[in-house]
Parts: sequence; structure tokens; C-alpha cells
Amino acid sequence: MKVNKINRILSKTFAIAEKNVRTQIRFKYYMIWKWFLPIITLLMPIIILDKFFDFSSSIGPWTQQNFMIFMMIGYDIMIMQTMIDYIPKSLIGEKYWKTLPALMIAPFNRFYLLFGYIISEFLGVLIPFAAFFIVMVIVFPISFLTIIVIILMFFGVGLVFSGVGLFLGVFAISNENFLYIFNVIIRLIFWFSCVSYPFQLFPNAVQAIINLNPIYYLIDIIRLTWIENNIILTAYSHPIHIIIFTISLVVFPIICVYIFNIVYKKLGISGY
Amino acid sequence: MIIETFNLSKTYHLKGRKRIQALDDVNISIQEGEKFGLLGPNGAGKTTMISILSTLIQPSAGYAIIDGNNILTKSKTIKSKIALMLGNDMIYYRITGYANLKFFCKVYGLENYKVKIAQLAKELEIEKWLNEYVERYSTGMKSKLALCRVLLSDPLILFLDEPTLGLDVKTKKFIIDKLKKLNKTIFITSHNMDVVEKLCTRIAFINNGKIVKMGSKEELSKLLQKRVRIFIGITENKNKLKQELEQQDFITNITNEETGLKIEILRREDYNMLFPIFSNYKIIKIQELELSIEDLFLNLV
Repeated sequence: MKVNKINRILSKTFAIAEKNVRTQIRFKYYMIWKWFLPIITLLMPIIILDKFFDFSSSIGPWTQQNFMIFMMIGYDIMIMQTMIDYIPKSLIGEKYWKTLPALMIAPFNRFYLLFGYIISEFLGVLIPFAAFFIVMVIVFPISFLTIIVIILMFFGVGLVFSGVGLFLGVFAISNENFLYIFNVIIRLIFWFSCVSYPFQLFPNAVQAIINLNPIYYLIDIIRLTWIENNIILTAYSHPIHIIIFTISLVVFPIICVYIFNIVYKKLGISGY
Repeated sequence: MIIETFNLSKTYHLKGRKRIQALDDVNISIQEGEKFGLLGPNGAGKTTMISILSTLIQPSAGYAIIDGNNILTKSKTIKSKIALMLGNDMIYYRITGYANLKFFCKVYGLENYKVKIAQLAKELEIEKWLNEYVERYSTGMKSKLALCRVLLSDPLILFLDEPTLGLDVKTKKFIIDKLKKLNKTIFITSHNMDVVEKLCTRIAFINNGKIVKMGSKEELSKLLQKRVRIFIGITENKNKLKQELEQQDFITNITNEETGLKIEILRREDYNMLFPIFSNYKIIKIQELELSIEDLFLNLV
């Protein structure tokens, strides 16, 4: 009985994921453009930093030998960042095609929808993400344990980004004005997260702002774990990073699901 | 009764503390297997009504019982018994017709969906188009696919909101004929009289959120039989005759035509009162015109 119920839940969740993936691959060049965009963004920092190492041997822990890892992790983060845009964009589509009411009046739980979206987002970025990850392992080999830990960390980051996407998605359905306002705020948060330049390059005033940004800790701990290649040492030397990473992993998705529920109820929809 | 509403009301709050009473104390009851049409102009409250009954939105006051379940407390049970079609929407444009149907089959947890899809697609004559992207479909094809989607789950009640919107005469007839053959309760809203008149056994007129008239097609036809619409052929003194007719209480809706006047008499027995007036004019032709439910609707709203 329980197995049947689980099968039904999985079937409905994966139906959402399958539909989303099919929708995404409708325009293949758009997908390829999405994969290449982070490379174009990172091209300038690569050129600048490469020149920078002619004058200085290191920027914090980053040297000419390991800064490509910094950039490649930056790429994987940026490709995962597209997950944030994905939920609101898809929900706007659902709103205008009026397919949300079709799901709302179906015997269907809203959490199937959420998990379906998260799975499809992961699938949507899987190919470029995995390609860069494999290249990173070849270029800068790490232990099997570190690989597992880093994959789990990336999964955690994916959950946080999905939560943010969900938060934006709710405004995509209810009030698109708020969606664009929050979009600007989220761009600013990412701008201060050291995705493309190391923390140590920034002036003190900017560093103070970056220190307040939880996203920075999420990204930085993955990079540190990779280059240190010793999870115990990393956890011991960067406890604040680990604490903020763990808190973010729990708090972000919960807050975002909570807001999703509140806004949904305010819309007057009793569905799902 | 399979659908029963009790003082159903819905108020929308707009910007600047404005309020719109979309539904105002609506009481209707529909029997199982009945095909019920809700007619009204744009903004009359039709979509609000269908959205409440299909559990999409909640009423501000009142409640409805669907197959013994209260929409306020048993929405989950109701969802498993109904299907909703909003025009030719509620389908994904960027995937194929087949992918759409397969998706909804999985959402409804339907088994043997391949057989069901093939069967319905054949019935609705869309089988050749199933592997095309929906964005390439014509409006008629989209409507057929949307109908196919709602029929997949074999619902007890079909809620159809403007199902023939934008369709040509042939496709409209095709959809109406298919719906007529279905042995299901159908609740249809439209501002198209033709569709409702052909499909429904009972009709209600809604305007400004209130039901202004409700009855079986026969009852409404009787109401129509009481009224008479006449064409009066006249070339000389047309305006003078018009002015004289406008002063009569039993005459309504006087309209100018190229070769005469069109008038409506509220009660057939008053027909003879026209002849003393006509005796003063050179009338070329007097012809009784047929009234449709559309005419009744226009008079009511």
C-alpha cells in the first residue's frame, strides 16, 4: 500500500520534471546559450587574474596554479544560478498558458510541483555542470571523499538557489512587479558573493559588505574544500563558513517554502 | 442534485479600496447528467462562478455542494470528480500534444494511458497532430486537445468556460456534437447563445453577478412565445410612425431599418392594438420575425 503511494508520488513528481525538461529543450540554442553565458562572463576575470599573477605570486589562497579551479567552480555556481531564474520564468509561462489552474484542480499536492521543478532544474544544468566538474577533477585531482563532500555541497547550494527561485516564482504568479524588484536585490547579492573575483582583491569597505553575504560563504567553502582537499582541515580552519553554510541550507528553503505558502493563500487559491 | 449553490457570493477588492461584486447571492441547482448553461455578457460573473465551483477560488460568502461535498471543506474529494476547461488554454504550448496528454494522465495517476489517449485522440480527430508541438496547432486543434485533456480522467462533472471561443462554425459544431453525446453533467459558461441553446437542457442568465433568469429551454421558449417581433415595411412618414409607436407602453425595442421599422410587442394579445395606429399610414408589409434565446438574453441584460 505504502509502496503504491510512494510510486504515485514519484510518478507525479517526475511527470512535472519530465514536462519541464521537455519545455526547456524545445529551443536547444537557448539552452546552449545559457551554458555558454557564464564562460563569457568569466573570460574577463580569467584574463585579468592571469596578468595579475605576473606581479604577485598569490591572492589569498589563490595562485597561478590553482586559480583555474576558482574560475571553474565559479562557472558551476553561475550555471546553477540559472536555477534561480528558471522557476519564476516557468511559472510566468504556466500563468499565461493557464496551466496552473489545470494542476490546481487535479488531485495533486503542491509539493510534487516544487520537487518536480527542483529535479528538472538539476537536470537542466547537469550536462555543463558535470562536464566542468570532470575537467576540474582531471586538472586539479582531489580525494574521493572530497569529491563526495563537494558534490553534496553543490547539491546544498542547488537547494538554496531553488528556494530563492521559489521565492521569486511566487511573485511571478502574484505580482510581477515584485519579481523584478527582488531580481535586482538578488543580482546585488550575487555581485557581492565573489563568484568571479577573489575576496582579497576587493577594498576593505567592500570586503565588509561581502562578509555579511551568506551566498559568499556557500561559494567560498566549496572552493576552499577543493584546494585544501582535506575536509577535516577545512572544517577546522573555516568554522564560520561551515556554520553559515549549514544554517543557510536549512533556513533558506524553509523560509522560501513558507513565503510560497503565505502568498499562495493570499491569492485566494484553495487548490492543490 | 449534483451541484447546488447556496447564496454564493464573491467580492473582489481592487486598488483604491474599490470593490467588485462578481457574484451576488447565487442559488442554482443542477441534476446529475444535466447540461446546464450559464449565459452572460463579459464581466457578468461566469468565470468567477466556474472558478468557485471547480475549487480554484473560494467564495466570499455562501457555499456550494458538489456531489455531496462542500467546496469549502472537501475540495480535495471534489477535485477527483471534476475537470475544467478554460477556453482552449490549460495546455503546454512548447511540448507536443501527446506529451501534454501523457503529462496530465500521470498527474491524475491514470493507468493504461496510451490506450486512452489513442482512443480519445481518434474520437476527437487529432491523432495525426499528436506528435506536433501545440504552438503549431490551429485554434480548433487546441480546443480539441483541451477537450481531450479534460475527458482523459473520465470526470463526473465537466466545467467548461467558453469552450468554443474563437472557433469556426464547423469545429464549433463538432465540439457541441461531441459534448452532446457525453453522458456526463456539464456546466458550461458562454456569451455565445448558439452554443448554449444547442447543447444545454437548462439555461441561466447572469448579469452583474446576479442570476436574472433561469429555466429549461422549453420554459424560456414559452417566455419567448409571449413576445412578438414584427417588421413593418414603410417608406413614407416612417419617423412619424416611429414617434407614435414610441408612445405606446406595450411596444419595446423600436429599431430603424432601411425599408421600415422593427418592433417588439411584450404580450402577443396586444398585437391587435397596432392596427388602429397602422390605419393612418401606408404600410407596405407586416412580417412576424422569429425570436431566439439571444433576444431574450439581450432584453434581460
